[in-house]
Amino acid sequence: MDLILTDRALPSLPRHDQLHVVHVAEQRIAPCVGCFGCWIKTPGRCVIRDDAPAIYPRIAHCDRLLVVSRLFLGCYDLPMKRLMERSLPNQQAFIRIHHGETHHIQRSVHPKQMTVVAYGAESDGEKALFARFVTRNALNTLSEDCTIHFADSEAQVDTLVEKAVAAWEN
Amino acid sequence: MGKLMIINGSPRAPKSNSRHYIQAFLSGWSGPYEQYSVVEKKHASCLERLEQCSDLLLVFPLYTDALPSGLMEFLQAALAQPPANKPKVHLVINCGFLEPEQNDVAVDMIRLFCERTGCPFVSCLRIGGGEGFPSTPFMGMVRRRLKKLAAAISRGRPIQMKVSMPLTKGLFRKAANRYWLNRGQAFGVTQAQMSSLEIEGR
Repeated sequence: MDLILTDRALPSLPRHDQLHVVHVAEQRIAPCVGCFGCWIKTPGRCVIRDDAPAIYPRIAHCDRLLVVSRLFLGCYDLPMKRLMERSLPNQQAFIRIHHGETHHIQRSVHPKQMTVVAYGAESDGEKALFARFVTRNALNTLSEDCTIHFADSEAQVDTLVEKAVAAWEN
Repeated sequence: MGKLMIINGSPRAPKSNSRHYIQAFLSGWSGPYEQYSVVEKKHASCLERLEQCSDLLLVFPLYTDALPSGLMEFLQAALAQPPANKPKVHLVINCGFLEPEQNDVAVDMIRLFCERTGCPFVSCLRIGGGEGFPSTPFMGMVRRRLKKLAAAISRGRPIQMKVSMPLTKGLFRKAANRYWLNRGQAFGVTQAQMSSLEIEGR
């Protein structure tokens, strides 16, 4: 399954059965409260029952993931960041050693090919910081096969998304 | 020494490890200070009070390799209304992983915030193994550095520090897994249940 998480409308995107698109900014997603309930009370299940529990299993189980997000301080902006925080049930509390560092063990998370289309960067420094963030986060989400495209304008976002999806289809 | 604004950026502020670290910091701080937690969601009021402060201390956990979203909301409010008095910014960041370097990207996100607001980034303490620290005998190692940080801020001197549990990665893994197992057992959840591969029952 292919999954697109986007914080902006993508009206020209082709739709088909194997592609699921989530307009994250239109979902009701509360911030993670840090209760660790998804690790120690109801493993694999968030205690907050808003729209996030329908999305994070899709993130875990997809084979290809495209993330479209505005940047804020070298990170995903709030809509996407809140969803990433609420995806904590995809991991176990338990620790493993991965690439020589301590990281959490994943539940049934598919290793995936991830593409990020990022827009709104205010400087090359912010782009470089975002690339470091994505590389680190990939270690915790099994998305180490990752490519980042920076859109210099919002108009360019659609073009980059179309190219990324076309590359999947080829 | 001017007034210090301490901001707890943890989403579980009243029960957070950040609160423990703030308390330990305050045991070494003798100057005037105010405290604010981002979960109060009174950012405008905090930013007004920040204008009276010479220093800002941000204390927060690493969240998905970056800043917690509640703190990001506060920083967005601060960027919309940058503090005119340009307080000096200090940082205490903790992550649950052993390596304090896993905090580095988040530290640089705060540096970028400082660049954009014109506030000087001055001091930083990076903590690895931070989730379990307060409940272990190793907490003294953090407390000493927090006191050192307090002294450096009051003297206006920059300081960069990091601290982690004095354990090998293998021992840390065992200790951390035991810690989480005990927390699960407190809710009647077994190791097998905690190790489930299922997500939302699938």
